[in-house]
Order: sequence, then structure tokens, then C-alpha cells
Amino acid sequence: MKIFLQKAAAHYGMIGVLLLLCVFFSAVTYSDQSPAGAAGAAQVAAEVGGMGGAPQVLLVSSAQPGDAAFAAALARELPGRGARVVAAVSGEPQAAREALRQLVADGVRLDAIACTQTAGAWLLFADLAADFPELGRPRLVTPRSYRWPNFLKTENLLNIANQIAVIAIMAIGMTLVIVTGGIDLSVGSLLALAAVLVARLIRDYAGGVAATAWGMGLAGMAAVAACGVAGAFSGVMVTRFRIPPFIVTLAMMLVASGMAFILAEGQSIYQLPDGFIWLGRGASFGGVPNAVVLMVVLYGLAHVGMSRMSAGRYLYAVGGNREAARLAGVPLTGVLLGAYTVSGLLAGVGGVIMASQLKSGSATYGNMYELYVIAAVVVGGTSLSGGEGKMSGTLIGAFTIAVIQNGMNLTNVESYTQKVVLGLVILGAVMLDKMRQAR
Amino acid sequence: MNRKNFLFLACGVGLLSGCHKADDGAAPVLGGEVKSRGLIGVSLLTLDNPFFKVIGDTISAEGGKLGYQTVVVSGDRDVAKQGNQIKDFIVKKVSAIVLSPCDSKSIIPVIQEANAAGIPVFTVDIPCHEPGVTIVTQVATDNYGGGKEAGRAMIEALGEAGGKIAILHLKQAESCLLRVKGFREVIAEHNAGGKGMVEIVTELESGGAKDLGYKAAEDAVQAHGDLRGIFAINDPAALGARAALEKAGKAEQIRIVGFDGQPEGKLAIKEGRIYADPIQFPDKMGAQIVEAIVKHSKGESLPAQILIPTSLYRQADAMKDASLQ
Repeated sequence: MKIFLQKAAAHYGMIGVLLLLCVFFSAVTYSDQSPAGAAGAAQVAAEVGGMGGAPQVLLVSSAQPGDAAFAAALARELPGRGARVVAAVSGEPQAAREALRQLVADGVRLDAIACTQTAGAWLLFADLAADFPELGRPRLVTPRSYRWPNFLKTENLLNIANQIAVIAIMAIGMTLVIVTGGIDLSVGSLLALAAVLVARLIRDYAGGVAATAWGMGLAGMAAVAACGVAGAFSGVMVTRFRIPPFIVTLAMMLVASGMAFILAEGQSIYQLPDGFIWLGRGASFGGVPNAVVLMVVLYGLAHVGMSRMSAGRYLYAVGGNREAARLAGVPLTGVLLGAYTVSGLLAGVGGVIMASQLKSGSATYGNMYELYVIAAVVVGGTSLSGGEGKMSGTLIGAFTIAVIQNGMNLTNVESYTQKVVLGLVILGAVMLDKMRQAR
Repeated sequence: MNRKNFLFLACGVGLLSGCHKADDGAAPVLGGEVKSRGLIGVSLLTLDNPFFKVIGDTISAEGGKLGYQTVVVSGDRDVAKQGNQIKDFIVKKVSAIVLSPCDSKSIIPVIQEANAAGIPVFTVDIPCHEPGVTIVTQVATDNYGGGKEAGRAMIEALGEAGGKIAILHLKQAESCLLRVKGFREVIAEHNAGGKGMVEIVTELESGGAKDLGYKAAEDAVQAHGDLRGIFAINDPAALGARAALEKAGKAEQIRIVGFDGQPEGKLAIKEGRIYADPIQFPDKMGAQIVEAIVKHSKGESLPAQILIPTSLYRQADAMKDASLQ
């Protein structure tokens, strides 16, 4: 058991770092939350009912999700507790002000204002006594808040997964390339190229905003295929002409970025149908975003491929000792070509997802993404000198970066500091991992 | 803010938990009466341009006086990054989102998410006039009026002789299109008078940046040896152009009118390297945004757009400017 744990720690040290980060951000984002929907309504109804007499109540809810349920439940429950709802407003503060004016005009006295916590924070109610003295002194009743970390809210966790999906998917291809001892700097530009391509294909050939699902699917596949071709081209340059991968993919980065700008004519292409956001922002599988589902599926496939199939073994062999691998009969050219092609294809997938998330394609997407992708791979424990690395590690690395970024946004850290912290944490995480492995 | 950042940094580096509680969301009573009014989430185009930095700083300062907490982040011209920042604001349930979109089209779905979450969205400097999004109000410089002022400054700089001028443009920015529109109208009006004709001979892309402004001005001087004036749509482009003119030995012959009034631009005006700038007031824009947030929260009505006029800034103004002493 102890040996097993030690082994696990050595292999998955990064998961400890990730968990530590999660604990840290949970602690610092521990804050007041307001119960939404019927639960909040029940609290408010009980409190208003406890006021005694027959209180006249104004019901206010903002336009947040769950507020409609809150308002409906209150309107149902309040009369049963002896209170009378004189008016109900939902939406903007301006609507509430209108309602208050109307109540003054009708000569109504208010005993209570029952509202959601968001509405309760409106300045309108803070100055109520000064602005509307005719209403009397109504009590502001909001649901009691409970404490829970913002970081651990379900919507935030899904948010993190959705934010990192693109980088994580691209990191699969990057892991393959880095395991062979190479590097692929072109993925950020290929992402932009794919995003612009899919947007243009849909706009110009699939019928623009009236495009069908088939048309969009084909456009997406064409964009991904184009990036695959670009990746294969890099692969040919690396294998056939023996140009260092750094140079080849640097050139490809410039070429792809330039082509993306040419195709987009320097603008963003946005004439896309509403259905196009299905991939990037839809959630067809029990509330989990589709992009995240795709990411999980791809990681599953990649993990099996890397650890259970001969192609995966070949990758490690090529990266570990190229000459030995060649003598052992590993098809060098095929393996390298395959790695760069897959990296290109997955960058294309990332581009299509991003175009879908933002419902437009622009050549400015993906700037610096190659570095984040490489960071995710390296933080995940893959060695830049090749021959070593795991898909599960890469996924953990990607999430580590996402958690740091999201956590800092949640804790109000400003942009400059974020960069410093992110850089240092990446460095620290890798250092910790190395130290643990050395022990 | 700084202290908090520092503490955070210390915590982040150490990867240790529980050493500091970054307070947000809670409603402490600050100095007696003023209660926390909630959090304003601000995501600006970039923070490496002092213009946006001043907007962000002013929102923090003015908001702080009224009991708002603020978080200012930079979209770094990357709309995907900005989208993530807005989504994080939504998770935090901020009271208001202030935005200068990195891309008015691509940001639409994200603003729609904020709309759906019932969080009021305000835009500053860069608008998002797209169907399907709800923006409470847009605060911006009166770029059209500023362009007209630039036109008048150019006519004044060239004097009775008039002459050929070039425009260094940034066509993808709507604000710059408005500036050039105002500029051209004033020049056309002036030319209709028949005296001291000003001829716009070329309009080049400057990227609104020093390096590209430099190249564009170099080309303009090559093509038109008798050029007498350049209107650059912002200070970096104007300063780039000035560097090119100095290199070409034409600094005396050609007058430059810029736009913005950034510290570096103002200094150049003081030294006579740029003739004049219609200057913008990022501090007023920040203050207007906070005022708009308060008005919205009080349920008062707001116009769809609040324009801040520019004012023309010449060498004489620079001499008196305390910030340049």
C-alpha cells in the first residue's frame, strides 16, 4: 500500500499541486451566497409572515436565473401568511422605481419590500426613506445568505472546464510532438486559421446565417482538415528535410497567422447561424458543456493510444533514443509525421471550438496560445527532451493553469499581477514535481 | 489593492493555503455609514495604453468613494481572454460590468450571457451597438467633434499658404473613422472658402502604433516631397510619424496634428514636435461610468450614449500644464 502511494505520488505529483490550488482558492473565495429560487422565497415568506398584522408587500426580483421561480413562489406563499402583495416587479431598477412612484400615486403604504439579494443591493432602496417618504418605512426583506466558496460553485467548475477545453485539446497534440522530442509553435496560429476558415466557409458557402447543421459540420471538418494538412507539411519538413522542428513550426506559425489575416481581411467574420454555438457553448449532456465532453473523449482516446497501442510505444521510443528506435525497426518518418499531423488537426479542432464559443472567426484568436499549451504539457510532467510524458499529466497541467487563472479572476487580482503569479506558479509547480521525483 | 496583490503574490508563490482572506462579496461597514455596495467588474481593451489605465484607475477611485469595490483587468486585445474574464465576473455576481470590447462582434455572446444573468453592462470608449445585446449606456469621447477640432488645428498650423497633407489612419477602429470623418468635413468646408487650400493627398494605415506610423510617414514623404501636414489618429502614430520626419530632415516643413493627449504626446507638444492634439479625458470617462452605474442602480433613466467632448491642446497649454513640469 505504502509503495503504491509512493508510486502514485511520483507519477501524479502534479495532482497534489492542483488539489492544493483548489483548496487555496476555495478558502479565499469563501463568501456570502444568496439562496435563489423557492428556497430563498420560503425564508422571505416566513420572515414577512412573522411581522404580524396584514403587511402590504412589494415584490421585487431582478432578471437573474432563478429569480422568476423566487417571485412565483413568493406570490403563492405570501397571501397564505396574511400578507398582501400590492405590486410585483421584475427586471431593472428603473422598473422598480416606476412601481414605487405608482404606489405613491395610489396612496398605498408599504410595510415590507420582499426582494432577492441582488435587488436588495440596489441603491434605489438605500435612499428609499429620502426619495419616497410617502410610502412609510417599509422593511427590506431578503433571503439570508449562507457561506460557500465562489470557486466551488458548480457553474464555476464547469466554467473552468469550458475555459480550458481549447487549450487542453491542443495540448494532446503538443504532448505527442514533445514526447518525440520535437516542439510545435504553430498551434496558436493554426487555431486562428481554423476559426477564420470555418467562419468563412459557413458565411460564403454554407448559406451564412441560414446554414444547416450539415453545412456547419462540413465546414468545421474542412477547417480541421486544412490544419491537419498544415501539420503534415511541418512533419514532412522535419522528417524529409531534417529542419529542426523549432524552425519549421516557427515558419508555419507565421504562414498560418498571415493566411488567417488574409482570409479574414483583417476583420472578424460573424455572419453565422445561432446554431453554430452548439459546440462551444451548448450543453447537451446533462449540463456538461459539449466542448468539455469532446475534450474528455479525446483525452480518453489519446490515453488509450499512448499507453495501450503500438503507435504510442513508438512515440516514446522515438523520443527516448531515435537511433535505437530506428535500428529496432520503428517507422521513424511515419511516427513523426503522424505526431505533427495530429497536432495540426487538434489545433484545428480548438479553432472550430473557439469560433463556436465566440460565434465568430477572427485572425487575432490564439495569440500566445502555443506557449500556454506548451506550459500545460510541461507542467503535466512531460519532458521537453522527449521520451517521457503522460496524457493524464497534460490534462492535470491544463487544469492547473486554468484554476490559477480563474482563481485570480475570482479573487480580484489585477492583470499585471496575474501574469507574474502565473509565471511563478508554473515554475514552482514544475520545480516541486522535479524535487519529488528526485527524492 | 496593492497590498492585497502583494499578499496574494506571496501566497501564490508559496502555494500555501489559508494565509490570506481576499474579501469579496461580504458587506462590511466601511468607516461608519458607507456600506459596501458590491463589486464592479472592469475589463478594458488593454492596460499598456495609459488612456485605459487612467479609465480603470478613475473607476476604482470614484467607485471606492461610494463604497464600491472594483476589479480592473486587461483583455490584452484578446477577445477570448476577455470573454473568460466576463464569465468569471458573472460567476462572482458582480453588481455591474464595465467593458471596452476587444472585438465588438465576437464579444456579443458573452454580453448576452451577462444580460441573461441580470448583470447590467456598461461600455467605455469602444461601443458594441449590435442587435441582441443590452448595454445600459456607452461612455466615449466625442470623436467626431474631436476630428473637427483636429481639422481646425491643421488649418491653423498650415496658415494662409495651405498645402498637401496626409492622414495616418486606423481603419478598423470605429472611433478613428469618426475622427477622420470630422476632420475631412472641416477641411472640405475650409476649401470651399477658396483661400489657403488644404489638399488631402493620401490616407495611409498606421495601425495606431509608433512603428507602423513611422513606416507610413516615411512612405508618405517619399511619395509627396512637398507634404506640409500630417494628421495622425492617435499619439503613438503621431510620434512615429515625427520620428520619420526627423530622420528624413523634413521636421520643419511638415506639421503634425495628433489625437489623445497622452503624457508622451503632451510632452511632444510642449517641445514643439507635435503642433496640437484634441485631447481626450479618460478621467472624466471613468467618473461618468461610475455615475452611470449609480444612476442605473437608483432606477433613474440614462441616455444610450454619453459623449465627452475633447479640447484642443496647443504648445501654450502645454507650457502651463502642471503635469509636465
